[in-house]
Amino acid sequence: MTAFKKLTLTEPELVLALQSKDPVVLKTLYSMYSSALYGVISRIITHTELAEDVLQETFVKIWQSASHYDNTKGRLFTWMMNIARNLSIDKLRSKDFKNSLKNQDIENNVSFVDEQNKVTFNPDVMGVKQLVENLKPDLQSVLDLVYYKGFTHVEAAEKLNLPLGTVKTRIRLAIIELRRSFN
Amino acid sequence: MSVENLKAYIESGVLELYVLGDLSPEETLQVEEMASRHVEVRDEIAAIEQAMEQYALQNAIQPPADLEIKLFEKLGISEDDELETVSETQFEEEGPRIVRLDGSDGRVRTLRYALVACVALLVVSTVALFITYNKLNDAHDQIASLNLDKQKFAGVVKQLEFDNNGLNNMVAMNDSKEWATIRMAGQAFSPKSKMNVYWNKKDKSVLINYVAMDLPKADDTHEYQLWALVNGKPVSLGVFGKTDSTSNDALKKMQAIQEAQAFAVTLEPMGGSINPTMEKLTVMGGV
Repeated sequence: MTAFKKLTLTEPELVLALQSKDPVVLKTLYSMYSSALYGVISRIITHTELAEDVLQETFVKIWQSASHYDNTKGRLFTWMMNIARNLSIDKLRSKDFKNSLKNQDIENNVSFVDEQNKVTFNPDVMGVKQLVENLKPDLQSVLDLVYYKGFTHVEAAEKLNLPLGTVKTRIRLAIIELRRSFN
Repeated sequence: MSVENLKAYIESGVLELYVLGDLSPEETLQVEEMASRHVEVRDEIAAIEQAMEQYALQNAIQPPADLEIKLFEKLGISEDDELETVSETQFEEEGPRIVRLDGSDGRVRTLRYALVACVALLVVSTVALFITYNKLNDAHDQIASLNLDKQKFAGVVKQLEFDNNGLNNMVAMNDSKEWATIRMAGQAFSPKSKMNVYWNKKDKSVLINYVAMDLPKADDTHEYQLWALVNGKPVSLGVFGKTDSTSNDALKKMQAIQEAQAFAVTLEPMGGSINPTMEKLTVMGGV
């Protein structure tokens, strides 16, 4: 039974099991999606420990609010990804995170500053960087802010000093670019 | 909505923001309403979602392995049998399920702390017990040695009382005029011995005082016998043993004798003899 449950399930099966609160499904969900969600989280939060915390919080929240998920409104992964993104952004703006910045000791601070300036290359993220670098620079900067830094489109517009409509269009074009590269 | 308007709506980028979760609740509702009415919107949303999902899956980063264990511990899900109990309790109660999970997690944690506390207590108790046991043994040893001392002192006190009693009697007899003290000196058999006999001039009774004698210790088969010499003939006045500690009385009353010229003591077999064994004449003294 356990072996069967550990196989990947189709999304409707997953949703059904999740909403019936079958604990085994959480393990399946974790083995299927934890790395994808961790990828999303750790691009927003570069601090490893905090990113791990957020991943945990994400799965706790998925488990706790499974009943709120409505499959007519979107894919399960979209729902989970948005939980992960929202928790990451919350963390980024929380005292926890600000304190962790203050508490960086000098050695860590060097690499932290490097990360902030994107001087070092995390091999895990390199594929993404290439993908994004293929985008035109103006599309790249928008996706960078929204996807990597957890900005809302309104914040991104302020930051880039662009009209909201332009930011929206650029996000759309960037995602269309991604769609093309995947097909 | 016209086809052009629909196209413009799709191209506005609002659907991307919807998928990214970057819309206000009202805007979200609007998008959902549009999606329920127009299949084109639904398809577009699905395509964006799949692109983002692909994007995320292709750029996945494996989290550390121990994170999974920590997560399931946090949720109180770890073993398969535990899973069943969790799901059972959930069927019973439909309400705030997470509270139950947290509760069981807390309970497990509390039990774990309790277990640790119990083990610590056990260790401390064992050590304390061991120390107490050692102290108790020491105390037993002390009590035994104190008891020994006490017996020794009791013996000494008894001896002192006995001596004191005898000495008091001697003093009393010396003071009174009724009593004659006959000093008997050591003879060839035992030159160092000496002994006193007290003879009452009035009622003719004879007393000896264990304190006022210094005779060699008799063995188990012999005892001393007191004789009176009456006109050259020995008359037995009875036997006496070594100072026996069963009585506190230092004085022993012997047989009375009406007249005597001398007193003597011989060492005789147990029970005494009819005639004195002259070779074992220990002390003798004239009146």
